[in-house]
Amino acid sequence: MTVLSSENLILASEDDVMLARRKVRLLAETLGFDPFATAAITTATSELCRNVCVHAVKGTARLEQIGSGGRTGIRLEVRDEGPGIPDIDRVLSAGQRSVGSLGLGLSGSRRLADEFRIETIVGRGTVVTVVKWKRPT
Amino acid sequence: MSAHGSIPVLRIGSTLLASIQVELRDTIADAFQEDILQTIAKTGATGLVIDITGLEMVDSYVGRVLTNTGRMATLMGTHAVVVGMRPVVAATLVRMGFRMEGVLTALNVDAGLALVSELIARRHGAGR
Amino acid sequence: MPLQYYIEKLNLDEAELQSRRDFFEITADDLTTLAGLKTFAEKHTDDIVEDLYRLILGHPEAKKQFTEHATLVRVKRAQRDYFLGLFSGRCDLAYAQDRLRIGIAHERVGVPPKWYLGAYARYLRSIFDRLVVELPDPAQARAAYQSIEKLVAFDTALAMDTYIAAQLGALERHQAAIRELSTPIIRLYQQVLLLPLIGTIDTHRADQLMEAVLLKVVEEQAHVIIIDIAGVPLVDTKVADHLLKTTEAVRLLGAQTILSGISPIIAKTIVNLGMNISAMHTKSRLADALELAFEIIGKRVTSSARNHPSAPAEATEKS
Repeated sequence: MTVLSSENLILASEDDVMLARRKVRLLAETLGFDPFATAAITTATSELCRNVCVHAVKGTARLEQIGSGGRTGIRLEVRDEGPGIPDIDRVLSAGQRSVGSLGLGLSGSRRLADEFRIETIVGRGTVVTVVKWKRPT
Repeated sequence: MSAHGSIPVLRIGSTLLASIQVELRDTIADAFQEDILQTIAKTGATGLVIDITGLEMVDSYVGRVLTNTGRMATLMGTHAVVVGMRPVVAATLVRMGFRMEGVLTALNVDAGLALVSELIARRHGAGR
Repeated sequence: MPLQYYIEKLNLDEAELQSRRDFFEITADDLTTLAGLKTFAEKHTDDIVEDLYRLILGHPEAKKQFTEHATLVRVKRAQRDYFLGLFSGRCDLAYAQDRLRIGIAHERVGVPPKWYLGAYARYLRSIFDRLVVELPDPAQARAAYQSIEKLVAFDTALAMDTYIAAQLGALERHQAAIRELSTPIIRLYQQVLLLPLIGTIDTHRADQLMEAVLLKVVEEQAHVIIIDIAGVPLVDTKVADHLLKTTEAVRLLGAQTILSGISPIIAKTIVNLGMNISAMHTKSRLADALELAFEIIGKRVTSSARNHPSAPAEATEKS
């Protein structure tokens, strides 16, 4: 897998979340993602970036265009030094009612992305990575 | 007509029509909810149509604000309908597992207004 | 299909190549050994390719592949390039792509795997006979032969992958065509759509269906969509789940879904699975679904006043 472009973003305010959304949308559209895939990755971006600002005060995001085999994709890694997420498995598998916005944002992002990875250490922070591939025609 | 932030709210008879044209940030969404509820209280509106034809993206936060606004309006005695959701938005919400419960939907503003009228008429009919 | 298609299908990037090199145990030493045998290869390539063609032309069935002289000349040249390629000292992405191109060319011409793989084996025998003459030291000969064998095995795997990918590609194209034909969304009437589903619904198809349905509902501003599943052979929890998701998404748009074609088997399956599809309108007969659809949009089907047996029924406004 190769990284074709990379951009780092600060996540500290609502403006930053909006900017991240816009950049992801623009990248998806530029790469020729279909509208449904664009909406999926943009929404996942919004969820993850908001989680950082709301639950960890601030963090960073790295937005990359990636390639593998002949496929093109977008990878977003969202990182914070917040409180971490205890009981992550329960949070990810729970439905809408039982967890707060954090869980819904995470599980929603996982469902919208093609690949999802989360590393979290209570007291240290969290890294969430999502990948969305362009649909082959 | 009232406007808080950037979401204009029209009055059509006793129904409020709010058209969301801008990309929603959390604070605007919150302000919108507050504004609508205050307007309902002030005007005694019996109907609320929220037109989201202009929204390219609805995430779980905005989804919750919309749903809750509808439910809160209903509690205050106002028939609330969300109209004009885009295909990509509906698909994304459903795929995320987000359920918009307790909110009526209609295809467009006309359909929303018609639905509100029907509901108001039924309520009056039932009350007789 | 272009080279890019195969590269995508085989996920052929540096990581994949490394994985293959590791499993076939191709080391830098092997590549150095092979590069060192370049002169040997150039000396014998014509003879070795001749060995192969003697085999092919001596075999009646194989011979049929090369009935034209022009083809024979072209393919011999390609074989020569292939053979010399083994001694280039590379096994990188460019090398793999070259091998893919050769495989694609053979697949396009329609050479079946049995000739292809038999040819590789013939090469190895021809090389071995000449290698033991070139390198009298048995240890050296064995080492050289093993390097060659490893790379030939690597190439064979790519060749097989090309064949499989080509077959799968043809299959996918056929499936896509069938999907196209079997999922038309029909405008039945103002504000009423019909989607007659035919064939198995897998996740991929279900995703595409939902998107097509949502786009059509908004495009037509349809209040109702009837999804008829009489033509779907298997309805299990997954399929029912997809239908439920689609129904919910259609509701978010402000329209309603009627599921028709519920057979006794499907009805039993759904109830026995404990599924809750109370959120959906369901009917067993398409005609009933149609009547319900009209009711939803405020119309009713009645007979016209004339008592002529072939008088058409009219849709009238409900009073």
